[in-house]
Amino acid sequence: MTSGATARASVTAAETAAVGTAVGTVVGTNGTPGARRIAGAFARAADEGRAALIPYVVAGYPDAETSFRIALAAADAGADLLEVGLPYSDPLADGTTLQRASGVALRAGATFDASIALLERIAAARPGLPLVPMAYANQVIGGGDGAATARRLTAAGASGVIVADLTPDEGAPFESVARAAGLAVVYLVAPTSAPERRTAVAARSGGFLYCVSLVGVTGARASLPRTVGRLVREVRAASPVPVAVGFGVSREAHVRALVRAGAGGVIVASALVDGLGPDGRDVEALGSLVRALRAATAR
Amino acid sequence: MTRPGARPTAQPEPRARAQARSRPGSGLLAEIAARRAVDVAADLAGRSLRDLERAAAAAPPPREVASRLAAPGLHLIAEVKRSSPSAGLILAAGDDLVARARAYAAGGATAISVLCEPHWFGGSLDDLRTVRASVSIPVLAKEFVVDPRQLPLLRAAGADAVLLLAALHPSTRLGRLVDAALGLGLEPLVEAHDARELERALGTRARLIGLNNRDLRTLAIDPERAVRLHALVPDDRIVVAESGVREPSTLAGWRALGFDGALVGEALMRAADPRAASAAFVAAGAVPDDPGAADRTPLVKICGVTDAAGVLAALAAGADAIGLNLVPGTPRALALGEAAGLARLARGAAAPGARPLIVAVTADAPKAALAEAIAALDPDVVQLSGTEAPAAVASLGRPAWKVLHLPVETPSDPAALRAAASGTIELGRAYLAAGAERLLLDTAGGPHPGGTGVRASSQLAAAVARELPVILAGGLDPASVADAVRAIPALGVDVASGVEALRHPGGRPTKDPLLVALFAKRARAARFDRPHLAARPTPVDPGLLEADARGRWGLAREFGGRYVPETLVAALEALERAYAEVRHDPRFWAEFRSLLATYSGRPTPIYRADRLADRVLADARAAVAASGDDPDAPGRLPRRLRLYLKREDLAHTGAHKINNALGQALLTRRLGKTRVIAETGAGQHGVATATACALLDLPCVVFMGAEDIERQRPNVLRMHALGAEVRPVSSGSATLKDAVNEAMRDWVTNVGTTHYVLGSAMGPHPYPTIVRDLQRVLGDESAAQLAAVEGRLPDLVLACVGGGSNAIGLLARFIGEPSVRLAVAEAAGDGIPTGRHAAALAGGTPGILHGSRSLMLQDRDGQVLEAHSISAGLDYPGVGPQIAALVTAGRLELAAATDAEAVAAVLEVTRAEGILPALETAHAFAVLPRLLAGTEGSGAPYPDETVVLLGLSGRGDKDLATLERWGTPA
Repeated sequence: MTSGATARASVTAAETAAVGTAVGTVVGTNGTPGARRIAGAFARAADEGRAALIPYVVAGYPDAETSFRIALAAADAGADLLEVGLPYSDPLADGTTLQRASGVALRAGATFDASIALLERIAAARPGLPLVPMAYANQVIGGGDGAATARRLTAAGASGVIVADLTPDEGAPFESVARAAGLAVVYLVAPTSAPERRTAVAARSGGFLYCVSLVGVTGARASLPRTVGRLVREVRAASPVPVAVGFGVSREAHVRALVRAGAGGVIVASALVDGLGPDGRDVEALGSLVRALRAATAR
Repeated sequence: MTRPGARPTAQPEPRARAQARSRPGSGLLAEIAARRAVDVAADLAGRSLRDLERAAAAAPPPREVASRLAAPGLHLIAEVKRSSPSAGLILAAGDDLVARARAYAAGGATAISVLCEPHWFGGSLDDLRTVRASVSIPVLAKEFVVDPRQLPLLRAAGADAVLLLAALHPSTRLGRLVDAALGLGLEPLVEAHDARELERALGTRARLIGLNNRDLRTLAIDPERAVRLHALVPDDRIVVAESGVREPSTLAGWRALGFDGALVGEALMRAADPRAASAAFVAAGAVPDDPGAADRTPLVKICGVTDAAGVLAALAAGADAIGLNLVPGTPRALALGEAAGLARLARGAAAPGARPLIVAVTADAPKAALAEAIAALDPDVVQLSGTEAPAAVASLGRPAWKVLHLPVETPSDPAALRAAASGTIELGRAYLAAGAERLLLDTAGGPHPGGTGVRASSQLAAAVARELPVILAGGLDPASVADAVRAIPALGVDVASGVEALRHPGGRPTKDPLLVALFAKRARAARFDRPHLAARPTPVDPGLLEADARGRWGLAREFGGRYVPETLVAALEALERAYAEVRHDPRFWAEFRSLLATYSGRPTPIYRADRLADRVLADARAAVAASGDDPDAPGRLPRRLRLYLKREDLAHTGAHKINNALGQALLTRRLGKTRVIAETGAGQHGVATATACALLDLPCVVFMGAEDIERQRPNVLRMHALGAEVRPVSSGSATLKDAVNEAMRDWVTNVGTTHYVLGSAMGPHPYPTIVRDLQRVLGDESAAQLAAVEGRLPDLVLACVGGGSNAIGLLARFIGEPSVRLAVAEAAGDGIPTGRHAAALAGGTPGILHGSRSLMLQDRDGQVLEAHSISAGLDYPGVGPQIAALVTAGRLELAAATDAEAVAAVLEVTRAEGILPALETAHAFAVLPRLLAGTEGSGAPYPDETVVLLGLSGRGDKDLATLERWGTPA
């Protein structure tokens, strides 16, 4: 009996493959002014024989004013770029540290407008520092195409944006509006991304490529997976843009290992939020931590 | 003939055989064949073929085998043998071969296979004779036929069928053996075990093809060998699977794949109670009683019947309609008196309740001739096969089926295809508007109206059948009908020339009863285990019916998709691939159905709640009066309401959730994952998943909001009892949405080993499709159950909606039925205007939640808002993307009930009907009076006689504590 080949409905492997192809065919945002600013920061660090250090601060954590001071402290302690997390009610890629910080910030009034104001203040205070907000798809795109958000982020001084639950499979419409705004859309690759997919995602990423070091959510880890070195080397070989590694990075030793593996940049998030102490206000401790990590970025 | 043990030395050692090389003609098979040739030559020395044939002619007439196998379902050929090279001695000392054969027959076996080979199997002609004499069913001679003289010898010993091994014969010799057997009335079962042997087998006239899982050269069994080969066998052959059966469930899977028979030996021989074992295998091969599948089954019309034998063949095949041709000058034309006689025979000889429709086939007949035909035949239907205008339909005074012709050439590009289809569709609509009941879709042109014997383009036919109620006609035969039924959403199939016997020169065509039976069997089996195949017209936008390749739903494909962290993409792609296979694998759906039937109590009944219906109508009158209208104004309210409840509260674990949980647990096994996680709100999905995991021995972790753990204590205890770990979630609002977040976080971390059993038709692609497919049994069953008691579709289908699995499961069947109104009841909590509610459809906006774009509760920054509902199962700020698409497109009407209304409805239903519904379900009851009154929903009035189908999604025992806290006198 011949199978009902003519009766195939929507979900087929062939169609899945077609989606995979679409990943590589769209232009991406690497030509945007935002992407060039990001690339410049990576290039300057490389010229200095270092990997770029990208600290992460939660906008509005523990409150708006303190988060501004934290951002400046991180900048002054050696940040090459600054990732600014926009707090979200349902951060499903984040571990307990960032979930908690998000919740505290939201309760302290961290609206999108407040986050934009914070970005503006940081950009004004440290004009040379590329800012890359990180958010979730519903904050950036939601029910629309994200054009207004892209414009506002750019106007506030952002060079790029990382959307934790947006992959190139769904990202084309947003890339198009981000491109129009001059904003880079930074994509992520994970240890679970197949080699062909890593190449395709890297080709679409603007400014840099975010390499997730581990299979899991964000959060400081005592050690990174043993396979991370190989992952970084492979991703770097597949990527036309610098590769920054994040998730779990918390110690100088992690940074040194990643730099040795060829990471163009290192992202430190939960460890810094932990470093701010339980009330999120130990700005000095954060400064020393960033300085120490920065020292570890030398090749 | 040799008895077991007489020549023990002749049995080779198993190990040596296993090492035999697999080159054709080598190994054990060659050894047996060579030995057989020597023995047969000795036994038959001096006996001529002619002599043997004379002896065969004197034997009692053969019992018909093929027609028994062509009956619906898979049939057991039970084998008796004393020993075998693979298993050694099988028949225990003191066990009686003949008694065993009788027990198999008593258990319902269709035929007995008797081993005749002496040295390896301990068989004999004596065994064959004795068994044949002791049973009344056909007997298959399991022999190694190496000499044509064996055939009459076996027939003379009583054999009704004979095994011929394609491996032993080149094509020409095999063909001659088949012809010789057929000539003796001995039905040849030609066995193949690889593609080359199969090609030889198919090159013969054999009607029965055996596919052996065992390689007779090495004795190795590959349990999927027969299944793979089956794909190469045309549907007009009868196919028997052999070897490798351990459990009756294997036969259920083979039945779903389209095998007609299974030869079972050792598994039966080892059974202590042979009759019971036989009965268990027979039952496993039977077509399951499944109203949902029956709803997909096409009508079968046997057309152009020319004699009494043809009528009886159609009746035996259970034809739904018999066409009698009255078109003068065509090959199957009947004189009026002749046709009237056949119609009488069909009516008289039909089993009670199974009377086929008599269709008078006409073409451009003058009015007087039509009247005469109607008077003579009293047909149930008049078929108009000519160039009749739509007006002709209206003047008939009988239900009319109009033939439409399709061009034979398939337009190559989609635009031309659409254009070609739209012409036919427009014409068809005109006939339907004029009162035609059905349309027969035939290929265009040809010499004879009403059937050209050429197959229309299936793409074109599918495009038409998607819009119009058609019966597919033209060029169908047993080999092609299943593919056509799967590819084209036709309501029925019509066949004339495709089931006819070879015509005598100058004679009128007559039906071949075996082909008629096979045609009906193949047509009915085609969609039986493929619930996702469309079986009827669905004239709505495809975006409301199925997701596209990217998992998008809606008129603009604006909902759905896959918004997830990159880490999960590989797992979702793997799930998508696995599910794409499963979706088209009838064995999966057969296994799923069997589990639902035997384990969770499907089909659940529909129950007509008359006392409740009276109260609903009274409440509706009050609502109309309150709105200032006159409830007695004509057409304002239905006069009578028949309210049917789909009783999912009776399913195991007390709600529809078990369908999805069992299906995804089976899927987990297919994915090779070893751990299951799930989220739960009310605990129903958690309990269902924990139950499925206990059944399939999978470790299970259920994430549940800390707040829900408090309010749904009994379900937490049930999950613990089932061995699941309940992990409290205190992040966010500590309810369902946070449980989903936490489950996703776990999945991100353990994606290599873990399958996430998502509980509703939401989440990233392909979950909304998977969960909908697993739950659509609700609506599929209901449609058939309603048709049985009401003879029609409901006017309204209503379900409560949270994430939407119960709603979409019930509604899916009816989306493409323009006459059926669809509505859902959301949870309004304290009232939608208060902002404290869970009405994502009525009070939400488009956004991205838990992996897909849909409607959701959120603030202007895209922060997800907490939902509020007394019912933990509806207490969710989002909804599945297909539901959002249906609402946005205006196909789904909205209503909402507050907490207080839901509580009141629980009590009203419980006291009116003695059924305690879940608080979730109660929302649907609460809104029904307002929907009927038109104060909610679209406002359009309902007919005088209104039939409502309401999804009673679960039982309310779990809510008793909540009701008590609320202060009801529960």
